[in-house]
Amino acid sequence: MTSVNIGGSGGPEAGLSDQTGEFTGRYLVVFSDEVQGDAGATNATMQSVAGISNMASTLDFAGGAADPDATGDAEAMLFAELGVAIVSAESAGVGAVGALNADPRILSIEPERILYAIEDHPLSLEYVRGYRDAVANLYEQLSGGCETGTEAGIAAALADNAGLTWGLQATRASTSPRTGVDIRLAVLDTGFDLAHADFLGRPVLSQSFVAGQAVQDGHGHGTHCVGTSCGPKSPAGGGRRYGVATDAGILVGKVLSDQGAGSDSNILAGISWAIANGANVISMSLGANVQQVSKAYETVGRRALQAGSLIVAAAGNNAGRAAGNNGFVGIPANSPSIMAVAAVDSDFRIANFSARSNSVTGGKIDIAGPGVAVYSSWPMQVAPNRYHTISGTSMATPHVAGLAALLSEATGARGAQLWAKLTQTARPLRLSSADVGAGLAQAPQE
Amino acid sequence: MHEKITVTVDDAHLGQVADLADQLSSAGMDVEQVLGEVGIITGSAPSETRAALKGLAGVSAVESENSFQLPPSDSEVQ
Repeated sequence: MTSVNIGGSGGPEAGLSDQTGEFTGRYLVVFSDEVQGDAGATNATMQSVAGISNMASTLDFAGGAADPDATGDAEAMLFAELGVAIVSAESAGVGAVGALNADPRILSIEPERILYAIEDHPLSLEYVRGYRDAVANLYEQLSGGCETGTEAGIAAALADNAGLTWGLQATRASTSPRTGVDIRLAVLDTGFDLAHADFLGRPVLSQSFVAGQAVQDGHGHGTHCVGTSCGPKSPAGGGRRYGVATDAGILVGKVLSDQGAGSDSNILAGISWAIANGANVISMSLGANVQQVSKAYETVGRRALQAGSLIVAAAGNNAGRAAGNNGFVGIPANSPSIMAVAAVDSDFRIANFSARSNSVTGGKIDIAGPGVAVYSSWPMQVAPNRYHTISGTSMATPHVAGLAALLSEATGARGAQLWAKLTQTARPLRLSSADVGAGLAQAPQE
Repeated sequence: MHEKITVTVDDAHLGQVADLADQLSSAGMDVEQVLGEVGIITGSAPSETRAALKGLAGVSAVESENSFQLPPSDSEVQ
């Protein structure tokens, strides 16, 4: 049971205000899960601890919409769906508050605040406009007049440095104490260079689902994605760090051929294999330009979440924004139960190619990751050998997968809970949610 | 015409995926993979059998297989 809090000492008086705002003189009583939803039990609680017998309820009104004028002289109003009651000041005197406070059926009691709609804000528009102009002027002076027009004031544009890629800096993976240890991350792609110098000694569980081809990556795309999601803290090649979840358990499912081709049967078999092998996160940098949700992927995405596996997928590169084409999220990222990942650049702008939300249910962008000029591992035997810098929502996706592994380690969250953690902790961007969803995925800092 | 298809098994029949695969087979589907973990059966079937396959108890959807193609290895955007 959570401890009970009561805002203010002795209770604020009606109409008074302090630094945190103005109060109405009424109290908000939050009921515990034990009694919430049970009208009889909530009434009994109020009766026994506060002596309140005439509590009106939203259940008394059509559609649950309480009409304050019709509650008469009720001492309290219960919002049954929320498990919250508003108690008048006279009813909830100090004695009653104390009694409510001590009862385990009550989670908290807080004084009700007066909230204003934005239009009614006490600050005049003229005052705020003057404030805005002053800040803009100050910003211009400090920045030497260089307006970038992007994330000015939030962060400067980033660049790869000697130790880190810009993506690790932007997502704060570089300063996270988490490494994805004990978390299994599956990359379903063109396979992996099992002989890559940066991964020697690192256990990799792998399986090919492409007939006649071994896991060994003859394309490069898969090795790049494994590098971004799971690359080492200190690459043996001596270059900068590019991997997010440096200690995650690596699963590699080859579902696309060395020529980059695949089909549902390869991919669904790969997902099934990854779940059976305990993958907590499944990264899929692949997609088809189909608007309509596939029942198969949506069902599998949902079952994966139930099994504790979060599937993240590339939104797609079918936009050409410079030419006015915003593209659309395709299969499988358009499934409601599969997280769709957009790509932003190091200046926090949407990538030219990054697909926008599509109008079908679930066809929206959920989150964004670094996806322009991304440096990562490349097969030793495929040009340009060992490392390569490329762009795509395919590159943003393994960033998010790696960050999901860090969050899963930090919080213990799996499946749908992990999805919520990712979007809750994402950094808002000054871009449309239709383009970047909740914003730029972030690494936990504790 | 023989077409590649993906069959989704409904929640109520997740425990009987193998049985359902047998029934799909009897109804004309050439079953290639039975993915019990996720409730998916893949394979191919003549297009005229689609309605019969969809009508079997436990079948949630019968969809044509999608193809995926990455850009070439040397593309700047992938």
